[in-house]
Amino acid sequence: MPNNKRSILEINHLTKDFPSKKVCVHAVSDVSFQINEGETVGIVGESGCGKTTMGRCVVRAIPATSGEVIYYPEKGEPVDFLTIDKNRMKELRKDIQMIFQNPYSSLDPRMTVLDIIKEPLTANFPGMSKAEMEEKVMDIAGKVGLNVSYLKRYPHAFSGGQRQRIGIARALVLKPRVIVCDEAVSALDVSIQAQVINLLKDLQREMNLTYIFISHDLSVVEHISDKVGVMYLGRMVEYAETEALFSRPRHPYTEALMSAVPVADPDVKMDRIPLMGEIPNPANPPSGCYFHTRCRCCQQKCKEVMPEYREVEPGHFVACHYAEEWELRGFHYEEEVQGEQKNRQG
Amino acid sequence: MEEKKIENDGKDIVLDVRDLRINIEMDEGTLTAVRGVNFSIKKGETLGLVGESGCGKSLTSKAILGINEKKCKTTGQIVFDTDGRGMVDLLSLSPKGKEIRQVRGKQISMVFQEPMVAFSPLYTIGNQINECTRLHITKDRKKSREISLEMMKKVGIANAEKRYDQYPHEFSGGMLQRALIAMALVCNPKLLIADEPTTALDVTIQAQILELMKELQKDLNMAILFITHDLGTVAAMCDRVAVMYLGKIVEIAPVKDIYAAPAHPYTQGLIGSVHKIGTKKEERLFSIEGTVPLALNLPPGCGFYERCGKRIEGVCNVKEPELTELSDGHAVACHLCGGCQGCAFGANSGEEAKKDAE
Repeated sequence: MPNNKRSILEINHLTKDFPSKKVCVHAVSDVSFQINEGETVGIVGESGCGKTTMGRCVVRAIPATSGEVIYYPEKGEPVDFLTIDKNRMKELRKDIQMIFQNPYSSLDPRMTVLDIIKEPLTANFPGMSKAEMEEKVMDIAGKVGLNVSYLKRYPHAFSGGQRQRIGIARALVLKPRVIVCDEAVSALDVSIQAQVINLLKDLQREMNLTYIFISHDLSVVEHISDKVGVMYLGRMVEYAETEALFSRPRHPYTEALMSAVPVADPDVKMDRIPLMGEIPNPANPPSGCYFHTRCRCCQQKCKEVMPEYREVEPGHFVACHYAEEWELRGFHYEEEVQGEQKNRQG
Repeated sequence: MEEKKIENDGKDIVLDVRDLRINIEMDEGTLTAVRGVNFSIKKGETLGLVGESGCGKSLTSKAILGINEKKCKTTGQIVFDTDGRGMVDLLSLSPKGKEIRQVRGKQISMVFQEPMVAFSPLYTIGNQINECTRLHITKDRKKSREISLEMMKKVGIANAEKRYDQYPHEFSGGMLQRALIAMALVCNPKLLIADEPTTALDVTIQAQILELMKELQKDLNMAILFITHDLGTVAAMCDRVAVMYLGKIVEIAPVKDIYAAPAHPYTQGLIGSVHKIGTKKEERLFSIEGTVPLALNLPPGCGFYERCGKRIEGVCNVKEPELTELSDGHAVACHLCGGCQGCAFGANSGEEAKKDAE
């Protein structure tokens, strides 16, 4: 339950490099955060900032270069995902699953939907009888809102939203505790997006799930997450409770990112903080603070010294030398009336 | 082919689409992809065309340029204010003829959704932008290079001289989209069709591109048909919005009205399903149940009937609602709202509508 502050995942100094002959791309460097059970943590950032790589490292779909991912199983001692042996990992895989971005390419077109949802069961419970498996599949398919009589069909017969439900059912059939959602709703239409987000929230309440929700869509992340982490060039630059982060960002990058979100309200004037240029090459990152080349508050120190990722307020982590000094603008939260128009603070 | 001269009462109208219908013959039957769409765009105006995938918005825009596939049977009128010839029905022109080619790429141009796909990987960016200028403006290579370079600088491509001779794979997504916009604008078109120009881009880049388009629109006084499913960008970009559903425009209004008082249940649903940052957290987002039906063998009545939360049996599934004007410039196709003075959406009694239907 949300109030139960039991830690479920702890990610410490996670690093992933992709070395090639000439250069080494530091896709994820020194990312640390912690997640409680039943929480949703949103990860945002521009494309190429390493958020997907980070998610994949957490589930050990790809091996991380260094760092640790401490997982607290329901019973027993906490384990480090990155170092435990394969057999034990296989056992624990049931607890941590992934939902992928593109519902069109993440489902095998030659398998029926029933087989797709069943596959995790056959892989993890070879002893289970066929009837029992199918019962479980039916159960979960009903839960995610798939018509059970359609399960013998192939994925091409389903629409995007339905396919994403299939992907969710596949992730849920093992009764996991943590789900990494990698851009789970980005490929869907707005009205379908809302359906799937509602579904994810319902399932979370029902099954006490923990989500790592990776997305580039800030409004979706703001809606679904309890905590949000902002990544830039492979590093976590800010991590805080959702409302704290959105109402009072401490990192200039977070501020710029939020000012670029188009608001579905013609009365709100877009007052964007321009970000100069583009993301630097992660194989050859700038000196000092990675963000200093595009930062509007850049000082001499930023060009030389890499800022420490530190806690400026309880639960609010920032990697900026001047996090306490800037008065950065965020979103103004309306407390009283629902649906009332918000304004951005000047 | 001889083009028809068509009267035009509005003075500044650049494009007037009248009763556009597109049918696609398929093995399973005829797919009615666009079912009688009417709209017009004025000089310097941005019209947003909003809808979910499969609602026919892309087909509509491609029909304007005459670049739909052959199997798309298009009827209706697409009247465009051409340079020199006055109002011309583009549909009456041969899709491969000389006349339409003078319009296409020069007077009307298009920015496509995925910049990575829209460019040929085999030619340099400069070469591809040049194609347009050399076809329409000058045959002189040097001059055409100058024009292209100038446009590349205008859209904010740094180091244009160097970039000119680079290939698309050397560009990032945002830069490619800029190059695509440069290519579309190099001939100073009267109308720019932007088909989801920022969907594939990051928010920061998206904001840059939107601002760029707005600036260039001011400079060139061109009209923009802005196709998207993102209501956030619509609010930032458009003067008027047309909401499409199942091949029809169900609501068309000035952008303020659409957000302040959406009249069609579908529009209401679309706006409701977008979460606004900073509003009080509701547990659930409003969502429209079901999905867009396939436009094959459509039943009579309103296309939104199956998914509508306010449907009235015996009315909505019997007669198709017409687009009726509510207030100045705000029209909606819904039995619940049509012609009812000062009705706060849905307040109109179903009884009245029932009588009408009978």
